[in-house]
Amino acid sequence: MNYKAVIIGGSAGSFQIVTRILNSLPKTFPLPVLLCLHRLKHVRSGFVEALSLKSNIPVVEPCDKDQLKSGIAYLAPANYHMFIELANRVALSADEPVNHSRPSIDLSFITAANAYRDKLIGIILSGANRDGAFGLKKVADNGGVTLVQDPNESEVKTMPESVLKLTKVDYVYSADQIIRFLLKL
Amino acid sequence: MIELGIVDIREIIRLLQNNFNYDFSSLALTSFKYRLEHVIAKNNLNSAESLYRKLIDQPDFFSTFIHQVCVPSTEMFRDPSLWRWMRESYVPELDDKQLINFKIWLPYCVSGGELYSLAIFLKELDLLDKVKIYATSFSHKSIDYIKSGHYPFKKIEISQENYKRYKGTDEFVNYYKEDKYNAIRDTSLIKNVEFITDDFNFNNAPKNVKLILMRNVLIYFNPNHQDKVTKIIHENLSASGTFIIGLKEQIRTNTNGQTLFEPVNINESVYKRKIV
Repeated sequence: MNYKAVIIGGSAGSFQIVTRILNSLPKTFPLPVLLCLHRLKHVRSGFVEALSLKSNIPVVEPCDKDQLKSGIAYLAPANYHMFIELANRVALSADEPVNHSRPSIDLSFITAANAYRDKLIGIILSGANRDGAFGLKKVADNGGVTLVQDPNESEVKTMPESVLKLTKVDYVYSADQIIRFLLKL
Repeated sequence: MIELGIVDIREIIRLLQNNFNYDFSSLALTSFKYRLEHVIAKNNLNSAESLYRKLIDQPDFFSTFIHQVCVPSTEMFRDPSLWRWMRESYVPELDDKQLINFKIWLPYCVSGGELYSLAIFLKELDLLDKVKIYATSFSHKSIDYIKSGHYPFKKIEISQENYKRYKGTDEFVNYYKEDKYNAIRDTSLIKNVEFITDDFNFNNAPKNVKLILMRNVLIYFNPNHQDKVTKIIHENLSASGTFIIGLKEQIRTNTNGQTLFEPVNINESVYKRKIV
């Protein structure tokens, strides 16, 4: 296997499927999982705990410059952008929100695409705005593998649909198919 | 927005070092790249080359460049619970003796959000005239900007919400004036602030400081420079002085497994200087 990381973006309607993914991954999942999900900026606790409840792998909110490790899910912390540095580290930023979002899915995806090039798997799930579309395009442009949750299955279609308008993705998958794909890695 | 490659960024760092004797290699690469792209877009440039040209042909642009490349604070009273902790747990511990020669240092001021928040905080506790605030900026443009009180409309709403969560004793609207076109902060809040111009090595840091408020600044430095800055902070803090960083920042242990600080309130990232 040739990949270095999986990055997942979503907002409204994505919580349930992210929970299912984390619940399906084996403890020995061979990649770091980067999660950039829209969240309330002033509510800093609770989210990582909620995701941890049913997850087989540890879910953490990284601190700045933490080294990324396989088999751990890294959730972008409230009110920070989560960048991926070339040295396989997280770099946080309190820069301006992008498309009203901080964390910005686009910025996490763009920086991860630059760090991992064709060794990245990018997944966009259900969501209520177009954040993430440009980021997933960047993953595709850099040769990474791109997946989008089937808009017909997504609770909120806007985010997956904006991806499909902007770029050609490798797979438009149901939640079950996304999970099966990840389990084959 | 145009995207820069690593080679472009290294070239810009080299140019800034050679022509302006300013070392940007201490910055975290990804956020520096993002800021450079922002500066290029903001000045209607279209490439790394056009940025070099502007820097070389217009020497005055350099201070604007630094002002624009540094990340401004995007909201006042960020993390209201930290400010509440300061009011309820930190300030009550300060007695009159401790308040003699009480220096506070903000080592990275770009747009003034944190500085004005601190001034409001102190004013409401009747401490503003009893302490000395030092504010470091990397460019006189930043200092001019902060002193002008310019306050972008788009930043007001979130700051107002934060101030309410902090439960300040006044109304947030009393700290700025607005007309149709502008909002201007109450600049009397910062009339006694001493501004310092410096670079990322902080050679002009004030000494014997009792409180350093440096939230979400270390994140913009690379790990080596973070360690260096942490040492500088330690050197310039008074005995058992307080050091506050951002919620998701950390102070790493040095190679001997030692830390220079001990936690005071880990939930709010408040530390105290350790004697080592």
